[in-house]
Amino acid sequence: MSVSVAEIVRTRRVIVCAGSGGVGKTTTSTAIALTAAQQGRHVLALTVDPSRRLAQTLGVDRNLPEPTAIPAERCIKAGIEPGKLEAWMLDPGIVADKFVHKFAETPEEAARLTQNRIYKQVSRMIAGMQEYMAMEALAGFVKEDRYDLIVLDTPPSRNALDFLYGPSRLANFLDGRIFQLFLPAERRSFIRRAASRMVNGVNAAIFGAENYAELQDFFVSFSSIFTRMNRNATAGLEALRNPEDVAFLLVTSPATEALTDAFFFRRKTLELELPFRGFVLNRSQAGADGRVHPTAEIFGGKANDVQLSALAKLQALGLIEEAAVIRDRDLLAHLFEEAGEDAFAIALPNLPMGAESMEALITLGAVLAENDGAEAA
Amino acid sequence: MRADPKGLRYESGVRDVFEKRVALITGKGGVGRTTVTAALARAAAAQGLRVLITEIAEPDGDYTPLARIFGRDNLPVEPEQLEPGVKGCVLWYRRGHEHFFHRVIPVRALVRAAMRSSALRKLLDSAPSFREMGVFNHMFALAEEKREDGEPEYQLILIDMPASGHTLGLTGLRRRLLELMPTGPIAQVLDDGRAYFVDPKVTGAFVVTLPETLPVTECLELIEGLVEHGTPVGGIIVNRVLVDPFTTDERAALEPYAEENLYGIARFKGIPNSAKALKKLKESTDQPIHEIPEYPLQEDSLIDAISKILDDRGEAAA
Repeated sequence: MSVSVAEIVRTRRVIVCAGSGGVGKTTTSTAIALTAAQQGRHVLALTVDPSRRLAQTLGVDRNLPEPTAIPAERCIKAGIEPGKLEAWMLDPGIVADKFVHKFAETPEEAARLTQNRIYKQVSRMIAGMQEYMAMEALAGFVKEDRYDLIVLDTPPSRNALDFLYGPSRLANFLDGRIFQLFLPAERRSFIRRAASRMVNGVNAAIFGAENYAELQDFFVSFSSIFTRMNRNATAGLEALRNPEDVAFLLVTSPATEALTDAFFFRRKTLELELPFRGFVLNRSQAGADGRVHPTAEIFGGKANDVQLSALAKLQALGLIEEAAVIRDRDLLAHLFEEAGEDAFAIALPNLPMGAESMEALITLGAVLAENDGAEAA
Repeated sequence: MRADPKGLRYESGVRDVFEKRVALITGKGGVGRTTVTAALARAAAAQGLRVLITEIAEPDGDYTPLARIFGRDNLPVEPEQLEPGVKGCVLWYRRGHEHFFHRVIPVRALVRAAMRSSALRKLLDSAPSFREMGVFNHMFALAEEKREDGEPEYQLILIDMPASGHTLGLTGLRRRLLELMPTGPIAQVLDDGRAYFVDPKVTGAFVVTLPETLPVTECLELIEGLVEHGTPVGGIIVNRVLVDPFTTDERAALEPYAEENLYGIARFKGIPNSAKALKKLKESTDQPIHEIPEYPLQEDSLIDAISKILDDRGEAAA
């Protein structure tokens, strides 16, 4: 039995929108959040997208420490009961500080750690930090049961699932062996001490003696915090494997290598045991819109020269448009095939008013809400 | 004619790309950045340059769009001939780390030990900025490769950069690392390779964008970020520029039918919007702007068509 996008929006607790950059992933995830909120669900739109478009569209400030409700007048305009839709743009620096405070033994320890020079430099740019924080926040909200639905807009990347490796890259960084590298020799085992003299020599050559000492200090100070953060990163990924609660969607567009993307995404989600539920072909012209080719009849039978030459040019543009329609329908059919039994493939239109406007989101939301059948539009 | 150390064969619209040693081709996803990069490589090869086309990727990772243009899933670590005049390889942080180790560790056995140390490798794979540092070091080593006659092995290195946010992660690398470690071997390498970050005679970032509202805004934001990092910006390449076929009279004749459900109307209405976005771009920046018209073509012939436009042999000055 094939699943529909409308059903996913109605029933899931977490929807993860993945996709390469420039395909309209943020727009799609926002439209999904909006649609669910219109149906009365309490929804959080969570984004780790560095371009931060989502916040601008929804009228929410950037860098806030907590999720924020969308302003009431925007909600009413979109047919949403105020308070039902919230958004949160993750600011890595703020979230990192929150973590230190959460995991430090005492407030004094937290204050000391957040003042560390290297910490201040690296807290917002540790590889995978944004992704890690998103996963962490996601797991936290799911556990607290604060929302009916959380829509996660993943950071743009060439590979649609790169964001999942963010946490594992971070886990790598936090791996115990790295700390060993920086632990002063007297804290290592007897056998390791001889070897560590060589390691120290190499490290000093790479980082410079003075930097190496400071790095050692940083790693020692943070080792306990990092170990605790590490455990939580893994828990976050585990929570995304529940097929009852979670749906992974791939957003793609005709301008990208949509089919190759789709194939890889499907394979990767299977490998990682993540519940893949559908392809969204964004900015597509696959939808049946009843367009016809213009003829001289539009001028009521009698046309002047200017009208005729204008018509010829319009017809030429019309052929380009029709070619795009055929291409997109073809693409959608292939995606539908690739989706298999338990996933959908749906096309969203390319909107003339600019996808960043609230009107566009409402229009897209309507397409999503209506798409309750198994067949693609 | 300008002084021409590279001996370029033709005048060209994007001569400023060809005059760099390293050109970073950047821009948000979906604007055709990779296609433009491939077309630039072809056009530069037609100019007689020895071109190296690269991207930041792992040699055994998932497929990349750039590699697929050349009929493969990945680019190799060692540069290979991809088409006449164009070699290609990945910029791989691990290869860069290796180059760096050879530079700073005097004893070969210790370099091997360092490369084998899984803890050190993990740190360099995942600690802030070290990956980017490795990517830079790999590029640096390729750019410094010399032929027997002392000339650079690659006269032009094109980098198909990742999307905007990640591009800024790379261009901001030098300052970030210098703040973190103002002295020491890493600072020394960054100083040796300084020209590749800041010298407009050596390097330039070229932002690819589309004539649409959002891409134009993001293009301007990206340029702002690049300038803030001290990265020389070489220009803007506007892809898929719509050409307006209608005269004013013809436009007026069709205006009454603008709301009808006809093929061609969307483009009829889209062309002025596109022109408006392009106008806004031109008013908002002093950067040189190169326009590439839209072609309804499939990939390989599209790259050919764009490379010919970029090459612009109509004004050949050989």
